[in-house]
Amino acid sequence: MKEEIARLRDAMEREAYVTDRATATAAYLAMTLHKPLLIEGHPGVGKTEVAKVLARALEAELIRLQCYEGLDVNTALYEWNYAKQLLHIKLQEGSSASTREREAEIFSREFLLERPLLRAITNADASPVLLVDEVDRSDEEFEAFLLEVLSDHQVTIPEIGTISATHPPYVVLTSNRSRELSEALRRRCLYLWVDYPTFDKELRIVRNKVPQIEARLADEVVRFVQRLRGRKLSKTPGVAESLDWAQALVALGADALGDELVDETLGCVLKDDADIRDVRSAIAEQGLSVLVSEG
Amino acid sequence: MQSTDVIERVTGFCRLLREKGLQVTPSESIDAVRSLALLDLADRTELYLALRALLTTRRDDLPLFDALFAEWWHQGDDSQAGSDAGQSRRRRSMPNAKAQEPQAAGGALRRWAQAGDAMDEGQSPGLSSPSSNDSRSKKDFASFESTELADIERLTAMLARRLNARRSRRWHPARAGNGVRLDLRRTIRLSLKTGGDAIELARRERKLRRTKLVALCDVSGSMDLYSRFLLQLLYALQHAFARVETFVFSTRLVRITEALARDTYRTALDSLTRSETDWSGGTRIGESIADFVVGWPRLIDRRTVVIVLSDGWDTGEPEILGDAMRAIHRRAGRVVWLNPLLGNPTYKPLTRGMQAALPQADVFAPCHNLSSLEALGRHLSL
Repeated sequence: MKEEIARLRDAMEREAYVTDRATATAAYLAMTLHKPLLIEGHPGVGKTEVAKVLARALEAELIRLQCYEGLDVNTALYEWNYAKQLLHIKLQEGSSASTREREAEIFSREFLLERPLLRAITNADASPVLLVDEVDRSDEEFEAFLLEVLSDHQVTIPEIGTISATHPPYVVLTSNRSRELSEALRRRCLYLWVDYPTFDKELRIVRNKVPQIEARLADEVVRFVQRLRGRKLSKTPGVAESLDWAQALVALGADALGDELVDETLGCVLKDDADIRDVRSAIAEQGLSVLVSEG
Repeated sequence: MQSTDVIERVTGFCRLLREKGLQVTPSESIDAVRSLALLDLADRTELYLALRALLTTRRDDLPLFDALFAEWWHQGDDSQAGSDAGQSRRRRSMPNAKAQEPQAAGGALRRWAQAGDAMDEGQSPGLSSPSSNDSRSKKDFASFESTELADIERLTAMLARRLNARRSRRWHPARAGNGVRLDLRRTIRLSLKTGGDAIELARRERKLRRTKLVALCDVSGSMDLYSRFLLQLLYALQHAFARVETFVFSTRLVRITEALARDTYRTALDSLTRSETDWSGGTRIGESIADFVVGWPRLIDRRTVVIVLSDGWDTGEPEILGDAMRAIHRRAGRVVWLNPLLGNPTYKPLTRGMQAALPQADVFAPCHNLSSLEALGRHLSL
């Protein structure tokens, strides 16, 4: 393994992120080739976490843009400071400046409020990590606009002109695949698919994040959740659910799973009523052991 | 390995991927070569992980990429697979080359393609205008001439219009007097004239929002007579209306959105012929729809109309179909099941599959002729 990749992986592990080689390699290449990294995977597998940990490991600022339908340039890029503009116009009352001159004045950088994308580009000291979270939730128009930022590291504001990055950000995009992303966007990114973790990896994550947990309980929790993922559920639990559950069980002072305990806390793992009923009846019929026994 | 050797092998690998249907652009090949200097080339797992990140763009690419990587880079050294890579790259036997070849697409599709040709050169869509009392609009698709396909274009335009009428969350400037919200930027600009007093208020309003459409089309043998027309409809919809996702299935689910988005019906069909769709094969409706639920979980939301086009002849377990339909029904704005057999007055949806699926459909309607498709318009706007 290349030393730099190993170092990045270690740095991420130090930030309490259980990192596999695929993630470390993709992140390393994204940084050295200066290309955005697109991470796809089921909800709750830790996609967003990659960007956060990367920022901490690099000691870089993390700038997060949460996408949603209807997200527009004003929210993502910049907005004008209207109050300040109005005040300025008031103060300039009676001045001999023409309307055009006054307009140029109040639509200048001084009156600009930076939103995440602009901040990511104008960062003066070092490259920040820009997290564009759930990019699949934004609409096509926004995605198209994002392309300019991602490929040229610059943005255009009609009233001011083009602003180019002095320190291009490291960009991480995440997607749950609620909508197919455009081919153009995909082509510009490195790609990483994050699957549900293996038993061993998830066990490491749980023991890492919930250090108080008893070894046996951690084992059972992870095995249980992994088995659940093999079932037909409308909301398959992610790693976040394993952690929530482990935390809850520790808080209840448990050191092993039992019928009653599972019954009481199942809501930590399953967030859908029908799923809960389904699993309850499976346990009632076949006993808890089908979900926690080894092998 | 000598570095020139490696460069050649990597470019050769890119070529192989391209030949086998993975899109690899020249700039991606260049990145792949650039990345070689950044990697430990003695470490096969690292090379695999790096090239995978660089040369794939979606999850669907991964199985083919893995197989081709194994073919190109591993010659018998199976001991290599490192711990992490081993998880995502289970030891697999090489997929047999025949299964990858498009012969499976078979003659049915080629015949459709030829019919599509006739249509491309055929008539202008405006010529025919079947009203509901036109005898042709009552004619069963099973006995349709390919020359009558133009009617479908007209229909599609109508359907697309229906799909286009809702307010979105995106704001845009309103004309004077309209609009519900203040547009501060424009108001300030206007107030410059009056020294900062906002006498004239600019307003903005919500843009029209569009419904999304997901179509799951049965192309198994029992649907042969109808699927050509339905595909034509889907093709037209894909072009008239941007937010359509189209899947076809017989024994397995294949996403054909991009293929349908090709320029002409003919090129679209050409590329479908090369896809791995099992045209006119058996039917596994339940499993196919379950695959959709698992593989594309968030393609559907409250503003999505899901259309299943199938006669419901499922050879699988009805529970699988019922469960999958329930999952869809719970999340979609509306679920429409179109069944060409419903056009026959004596038909009763008694098959086990149909029985399992029916409770999960908001609309159960025929789609065997043009007037039934026209009626479909009612069901499409949410």
